[in-house]
Amino acid sequence: MATPAKNRLPRGCRAVGGAKARAMERCRRLFMSRFSSFGYHPFLPSGLQLIQATWERLPSSLRGRTICLTSPFGEPCCLRADLTLAAVAYLGAHHAPQERPLRLCYAERVFRSSPPPGKNFEGTQIGAELLGWEGEGADVEILSLLIRFLISLGISDIIVVLGDITLFRRVLQGIPSESARRLTLALQEGNLSDYRSVVRSLPSRFAAPLEELPFLKGGAEILDQGERLFGYGSVATLKNLKENLDDLGLGDRIRFDLSLARELDYYSGPLFDIYGGPSGMALGGGGRYDTLLSEFGILGQALGFGLNLESLAEASADESRSPLQAMVWTGGLKASQALDQAQRLCDDGFEIELSWQPSEIDSRRLAMLRGFSRWIDLGTRRVVDIATEEIRPLDDFLKEEL
Amino acid sequence: MLALALPTGRVHRDALALLTALELPTGKLEKAGRSLVIEEGNYRYLLAKPMDVPLYVHYGIADLALAGSDVLSESPSSLIELGDTGRGRCRLVVAGPQELSSRFWSHESAIMGLRVATKYPRIADGYFAARGAQVEIIRLNGSVELAPLLNLSECILDIVQTGTTLKANGLVVLDEVAPVSLRLVASRRSSQLHWREIEKILERLVHSRKEEL
Repeated sequence: MATPAKNRLPRGCRAVGGAKARAMERCRRLFMSRFSSFGYHPFLPSGLQLIQATWERLPSSLRGRTICLTSPFGEPCCLRADLTLAAVAYLGAHHAPQERPLRLCYAERVFRSSPPPGKNFEGTQIGAELLGWEGEGADVEILSLLIRFLISLGISDIIVVLGDITLFRRVLQGIPSESARRLTLALQEGNLSDYRSVVRSLPSRFAAPLEELPFLKGGAEILDQGERLFGYGSVATLKNLKENLDDLGLGDRIRFDLSLARELDYYSGPLFDIYGGPSGMALGGGGRYDTLLSEFGILGQALGFGLNLESLAEASADESRSPLQAMVWTGGLKASQALDQAQRLCDDGFEIELSWQPSEIDSRRLAMLRGFSRWIDLGTRRVVDIATEEIRPLDDFLKEEL
Repeated sequence: MLALALPTGRVHRDALALLTALELPTGKLEKAGRSLVIEEGNYRYLLAKPMDVPLYVHYGIADLALAGSDVLSESPSSLIELGDTGRGRCRLVVAGPQELSSRFWSHESAIMGLRVATKYPRIADGYFAARGAQVEIIRLNGSVELAPLLNLSECILDIVQTGTTLKANGLVVLDEVAPVSLRLVASRRSSQLHWREIEKILERLVHSRKEEL
């Protein structure tokens, strides 16, 4: 018998099974299907990336969190820490610059150490990238598809918090570079004490917009305050986005945080954080970026997002077992007969798991253990409701349910 | 309802006084006894060991917290530090016997391998690494001043309020690492989703700080 130590995973690794894996798979399938049907091509990236091709292009916050190793061919590599980079590199290599916009979607593992106090370095991310196009069309497309996808998962209380990195860049103009660096660091680290102390050290002409910036969070009314502070037209992109999302009936999911500032060396326009579920769980985020594209010779800007698939599964409505999922007992039938009948159930829309147990009691016990609500006996063609033990003829059940 | 994590121990009275100054209800909290979760008005207070407070916010159990800046540096979490309350002030210092003083301030080679006892191994590592010295850090959970007396370490890195305990154990301050005070922190999620409620508390904090100054 294997000892527990032999069964354990390396520290920081994740293996997911059971109901959570089913929920994650449901989210993944729905995501890939929705985005594929909107022209986003599925993408399966390589697990390793060359360090020389990756390091300078990764967001600075990710560089220290990548896991480096040497490939069997002796090349210095890192495990894939970021899917956007892999997607952009692929499109840059496989499409001509004028072929734009380009769209990709993916559901893949990423490997990077968690910021403390987290310990995991392995997770599954789903995401989409729209490359080589800028302007409100791209922003509205990505955000509306994203919100509608989250709604389709049954996630309650979806909130997308929108900001625009160009606002912060605008208020930094004219500020001495060392002060600008410290302000950026304080805002990115979320240290408002440090932020305020730097602001206090600046000449008063810079102080007003900088002092108010961290307080500009809330509904659409914040945009008017922002416009008064940063100048006419400064929040036009965010206003356009809100207006379009309002037209699509999705505007009530939007909040604003004009101090949202992360990865200043990476993002170049609107950026967003996504929350959902009863406890307002952080699901992921995204934004507009451009520098990466020009490095790969792709024209224009890009917009993308990544969601943590495990968080998404936790926040989504529990649909782990639908009425059309059942454990199917072969009931003493010849294997070929049982498989033939089982296939017909699948063709009718059932999701089944076959039970070859010789005993009916053992088979029903297994169905309960697996969390099925229905148990089907192919031999006698009856359906049993596991909870109530109500028995119905299979043919009647099929007529009523399908 | 906003959930606030509060530290027990040394700074608990400071935290209570601050909540009163911020016009938050504290009647039940004052008589909490052994209860660790107290609901009062629109607030749920969670009482936790100081070092654990940031984690309650990081993992989304609490929206806000009062935590010492020493704890925030030692127990890194993705939090938004909303403001310095100016309360619970003390200093984070390196202390040791007087005879260590000249060695401590000479070339870094003199302190290579120095044994440092502390409740703050992360801060100690950062401090000595910045001085270019590789030291041996001994993690203790309390009574750190004992360590040099019993020759477990050559110096300590700890918080000091009045200096009385240091003096009583024959130690002197060798260097000031950082000033410490109680900070108001929030999770990134709460600062975005519950900003209206948080902003009111923050405004009262800024106002009370201005009055104190």
